[in-house]
This record gives sequence, C-alpha cells and structure tokens, in this order.
Amino acid sequence: MEPRIAVTGLGLVTPIGVGREDVWNGLLAGRSGFAPVESFDTHRFNVHLGAEVRGFEPAPYARRLDPARLGRASQLAIAAARLALEDAGIDSGAVAPERAGVAMGTTSGEPREVERLDDRIQAGEVDRVGPEFLSLYPCHMIAAHVARELGFAGVNTMIPTACAAGNYALAHALDMLRAGRADLMLAGGADAFSRITYTGFARLGAIAPERCQPFDRNRKGMIPGEGAAVLVLEPLERALDRGARIYAELAGYGLSCDAHHMTAAHPEADGAARAMERALADVGAAPSEVSYVSAHGTGTPTNDRLEILAVKRVFGEAASGIPMSSIKSMIGHTMGAASAIEAAVCALAVAEDRIPPTMNMDDPEEGLDFVPNVARELPVRMAMNNAYAFGGNNASVILRKVGL
Amino acid sequence: MRRSVVVTGAGVLSPLADSPAGLHAALCAGESGFKEIELFPLDGLSGNGSGPRRAGEIRPFEPRDYLGERNLRPIDRTSRLLLAAAQRALDESGWTPELRAEREVGLMLGTVFCSVKTIAEFDRRGLQLGPSHVSPLDFANSVINAAAGQAAIWHGLRGVNSTISAGEASGLLAIAGGTSQIRGGHADALLAGGAEELCFESFLGHLRAGRLCGPDDPLPFDARRGGFALAEGAALLLLEEAAEAAARGARVFAEVLGHGSAFDPLETADGAAQAVARAVRIALDDAGITSGDLDAVSVSASGSVAVDRAEAAGLAAALGASGAGVPVTAIKSMLGEALGASGGFQAVAMLGTLGDGFLPGIRGLERTEEDFPLTGAGAGTRRVAVRRALLTALSADGHACAVVLGAPQ
Repeated sequence: MEPRIAVTGLGLVTPIGVGREDVWNGLLAGRSGFAPVESFDTHRFNVHLGAEVRGFEPAPYARRLDPARLGRASQLAIAAARLALEDAGIDSGAVAPERAGVAMGTTSGEPREVERLDDRIQAGEVDRVGPEFLSLYPCHMIAAHVARELGFAGVNTMIPTACAAGNYALAHALDMLRAGRADLMLAGGADAFSRITYTGFARLGAIAPERCQPFDRNRKGMIPGEGAAVLVLEPLERALDRGARIYAELAGYGLSCDAHHMTAAHPEADGAARAMERALADVGAAPSEVSYVSAHGTGTPTNDRLEILAVKRVFGEAASGIPMSSIKSMIGHTMGAASAIEAAVCALAVAEDRIPPTMNMDDPEEGLDFVPNVARELPVRMAMNNAYAFGGNNASVILRKVGL
Repeated sequence: MRRSVVVTGAGVLSPLADSPAGLHAALCAGESGFKEIELFPLDGLSGNGSGPRRAGEIRPFEPRDYLGERNLRPIDRTSRLLLAAAQRALDESGWTPELRAEREVGLMLGTVFCSVKTIAEFDRRGLQLGPSHVSPLDFANSVINAAAGQAAIWHGLRGVNSTISAGEASGLLAIAGGTSQIRGGHADALLAGGAEELCFESFLGHLRAGRLCGPDDPLPFDARRGGFALAEGAALLLLEEAAEAAARGARVFAEVLGHGSAFDPLETADGAAQAVARAVRIALDDAGITSGDLDAVSVSASGSVAVDRAEAAGLAAALGASGAGVPVTAIKSMLGEALGASGGFQAVAMLGTLGDGFLPGIRGLERTEEDFPLTGAGAGTRRVAVRRALLTALSADGHACAVVLGAPQ
C-alpha cells in the first residue's frame, strides 16, 4: 500500500510578494505584479512590461552558501525552500539528511549566466570567461544549491520541462515518496527573469502590451515573469505524527505529450486532456469531484482557447460549474516556477476554501466560470492544477482535502 | 506484486559506433573514440598545444542515414543525435509507427545542456541584430526540454515525456526515472537515456573550469590522469513493462532490477563517496540482491582526479568484502565524457556484456594510486559470466546514481 503524501509547507517568491501569507493575500485581493522591465534595456523591443521580483535580497535565506556565488534562479529557489521549511515548522538540521531530497523544475535554469557568457563573447572577451560559467549555469545547479544550502543528501533531481516543470517536479517527488525513497521532499520550480526568454516571446508576438487577461475575449498575450515556489511534501502518517499543519494531500498526477508541435498546443487539446484524465485516474476520482481548476491560462489567444477545449473534453457538461482561474493575470508567467506557485495556491485553496480570481476580465469567454475579478469562498475538496509547456509537455496534478 | 521493467531495444549514436553491437565490439577491442575537434575552432583556447584538442566528436554524422528525407532544418544537433538513437531503439524493439499510434510510448531524457549552442546563438543573434531578428524556430529549441519535445514530435511519442538534469548522472537518473514511471503504472513503455552535443560553449565552460585533460587521451583511475575529454552522442533503452513486452512477443535484452540515487551536499571528497555508496546500496536493496551477486560494474570515472577517486571509494565501500574484486570497467576511457549521454552509453554497452559475457577493459590504465580500492579494475577486456551488472555515476556536482541490470530470465 503506497503512502498518502501531505503538503505541509509552502514557500513562495513571486512578483506580487514573498512568503505564503503575503502572496495569498495579494492573490485574493487581485494584486498586480506588472511593471516596466528593469533587468535589462527593452528599448529595442515593442513591449516593455514584465513581472520581476523587485528588491529581492538573497542574504536572509542563503545562510550556508555565499549569495554572490549563486545564480538568481538558485537564489530564488533557496529563498522559497527556506520559507517552505519554516512554514512547515521543520528545522533543516533536525532532518535525517539521507532521507531528504529535492526536485525542482525550471524553463531556463540560470539564463543570466549564459547571457553573461554571450556578452563576453560578443565583446571579444572570451579570455575573461572563468570557471564560474560551469559552476553557475547548468540547470541542475538549482536543485544542487538548494540541497547544499540545507544539507539534504537524498535524491536530487532537476526537471527542465519548461513551463510545466513545477508540476513535473511535484510528480517526481510524489514518485519518490510513494516508493519510500525519501521521508521528506522539497519540490517546486524556479526561474529568473531572462533576456533570452523575453526576446523569444516578444518575437512570437506573445507578450501583452499592457496587462495579462487570461480567458478574456480581448486577451493580447502573456507577461513573462520570474519567481520560485517550493512545497514541503512528506508521508501523511509522519505529518500527522509530528502534529504538522497539513494544507492538502498531493493526491496524484498525470503526464502526457502532444507529440504535435514545439510551441503550439494540439489543435484538439489531445495531450492536455489525456494529462487531466490520467491525473484523475491516478487519484481514482471522477471529474465531478473536482471543485477548482487552476488553469495554465497564459493569456495568449490560442493557448487559452485550447485550454478551454481541453477542460470541456474532460469535464463535459459539468465544466461550466467548476470554477477555473488563472493567477497569471496577477503574477505573470513565471515559467518553470509557474505551476509550482499554482500548486501552492491549490493547496491554500483546499486548506482555506477560497479561490483566487482571474483578474483583468472585462469580457470573459463563454462556457466556463473563470472567477472574474473577485476571489470566491466555496468548499474546495479537490483542486486540479494544469500546466502546459513548449515541447508539448503536459502535466496535471491534483490536491485534495486530507479527510477525503 | 511490483511491475517488472525489461529492456526490449536500444539505440546509440556514439563516437565509436552507431549501433549497440558496434559499440560493444569497439569497446571490447579497446578502440579510441577521440578525434581532433572540427565542430568549432579552437583558436586561442588550446594553450599553445598543451591544452585539449581532441574530443569524442561524432564525425561523420549524417542524420539522413537514420532519419530519411523529412525536414531536419528546425532540428539542432542534440536533437538530431537523439532522433537517430530513438529511431534505432524503436526499430529494434518492434514499436512500429502503427503500434505507437495505437499505444503510448514515453521518453525520459537525461541532458545537461540540451543545446547551449542553440540557446547562446539565439541570444547573440538578438544582441547583434535586435530582438525582432531572432528565429522563432531557434527559440522553440532554446528550452532544455527541446530535444525531448522534438523526439516526441518526430517519432509520435505521446506518453510521459520528461527531461532530467543531474550533471554527469543525468542519463542514469533518466533510466531510474523511467523505471519508476513504469513500476508506478504511469507508463507501459518508454525510451530512457540521454543526449548531449559537443559545442563551443560547453567546451569553453569545461576548459575554464579546469576539468579537461590535455592533448592526450583521458585515463580514468590511472595515477597519471588529469581530467576528461568531452564527448557527445545519444543513447536510449526501450524500457517496457515485462508482461506487456511478453504479450507482444518482444525480445528481451535485460531487466532493470533496481536503482538508487543520492546527493553530496557537502562538496567534499568523502561526501561524494558516501553519496555513491548510498546510491549503490539503495539500488542493490531495490533489486533484492547483495554486492556478492554482482558480476560486473560499469562506472562513470572519466579521468577527473577528484571525482574518479570519490566514485571508486564509494563503490568500494558499498561492494564491501563480498563484492570486492568484481570486474570494473570505465568506458569513458574510450568514449569520453558525454555528459547527459554518458549514462545511456554505459547502459547500452552493458547490454552487450550481458549478451556475450565480454566486459571491456579500461583503456590506458597502467598504474593506479597506491590506495586505489577497486581490485577488479583492469586494462584488458575480460570474459565474465554476467547475470547481474551494476552501473554507477557520480557528477562533479555531487549527484550519484546506480542502476542494476539483470540478464533476461
């Protein structure tokens, strides 16, 4: 009999705030994290908004490691990990290190390090490239840095499955815990604001000029962001034994691949629907048991349309009665961190019976309840978190009340 | 009752050969896969001849030999290597396009950079010409899961599709992850292994980090070693749930008996050795065997002074007295360090050993350090009856992974 797995701690670093309480209050209030990009000069772009984490100081979180020798995504990840452990009431020194692991997702790893390399090459200064590129850039360093900071010696995996990576990391951590390969897993995602990412989405014409409006008829695109989220996962029995606060059970997941196009979703939402169906099967739940869907909801015209189609395929007639919102309307698209942040939000929704709104909705698409502009109170027994990525990678995870 | 995982096919593109049988034969013959680097100029990088000039570059590499006439333009080198290896593994396993349309096949890919060349060139083009002059195709390939996505599209792989990064341990972790997916009922069949290309950006990074050997070939475990040679390639196993494989009458080459992984958070030689030892012990427990049941070991030792030493110490600790003397090979002496692809190389090569009982020697190994603990490491190819084999990997950043393969029952 596989153990059930509890979510007992949440660490969040986002464009609208830092820490569980600040972020949750911000989301319920519809706070916006969009502002002109500061990380780099955007004068050659025709869009200028981003969702950066402003004023972030890694020093309070990176206590064992020197923040100056960490890439920004690692800094964000370490902050989220420290916050999550603190939230779970776990002292990292009191954990059996061999039984504590880390699984993190990302889109770009530490893109600023390759951008720094490119600046050097561009300036004809290859001679100035030192050992730092290899010690900072490879994406696996994010999970490695989190584990080094905390002294965690168990499984350590980086899963760079782009914009669905946070959900993939949660799925991987769930595998490890179910198989008894760890007693404690920190799982989540991290991404740093990046010139490369911004350039790419701008070239695709996918960046909104003024605001992000998922599922609104006049939506004009996504807004790139950055951030990190870490969830503390442990077997339910252990969590109960230590009297931990339990937000939710991480009940199951489903993964699939469109095998259709690198950047465009399947025209019939085939892969997205299969991921949701597989997650429901993993949990052993019927679609009608889902009380809230946390949408991928980037705000691009095509992706949102296909996501609506996918949900209708899976939930059928019941779809219109299941609230579905996208917090990307507030915090932007935080890439590899996005689905981890959204999973944390699902855990809070399950714990508090409240769901955050989709903001900036003037003229919602028809057919589904997008929770327009105002947070809602309702019993959230089971929440589904959906994420879709470049490469056709689809991942759905399901969180539910422990009593179920 | 736990679901069993078997290997029903393999594909490889390596510096020595482009088939599992060819790779096994070349390794057993002690061939060197190193060539003068031609993929990028070494101007100013090679330190007046004292620096590295050779690598496990795959040359010639004609993707069309494997992939036919479909449009390869949007596919970069890492993805082309992967697509070719995947084609071979799917062909060998009997997972035809018709069968893949009917049932899902997944992919668990280990890679360190995917294509840092694609990523960096995309960025530099934006810097040079302005953001509106970059190519959307290049952007699609700039994500680290791009190769796995391209392979899914090319080959119609609709099942679980994931990318795993853990440095030089990425490939074995992908095989471990794929095994977990099948055991857990999330997949019935998937490709698992790794892919990595040789490129200027990776070479420069490794050179400046002081990890590469000089102009001579790398010497894993030898006292004279001074670093590794970079390499490239792709290697995949087709992993399948045993009953499903039997039901479709597939040939079984091996069984994945167990896996384990661990991490060294301390950045010390001892910490890294302990991580290896833990990973091996977990893998043996998972396989339900002890170290005395092992007939062969393939390690990730590459010629790195510190990492080779830590891997040897950790492996020796886990083998203990009952496993001391088990024959050990280090195929990076012939293939080089192919980063994400390396674990796949080890796994595919071991299929050959499971098949005919020949374990390649460690090329160039003449003299180990005085306290070198692995008495089973030797230069010559040996004949051993192999029923159970261990694969180990230790990354320079502290990731350890071990996989136990068994001969087909």
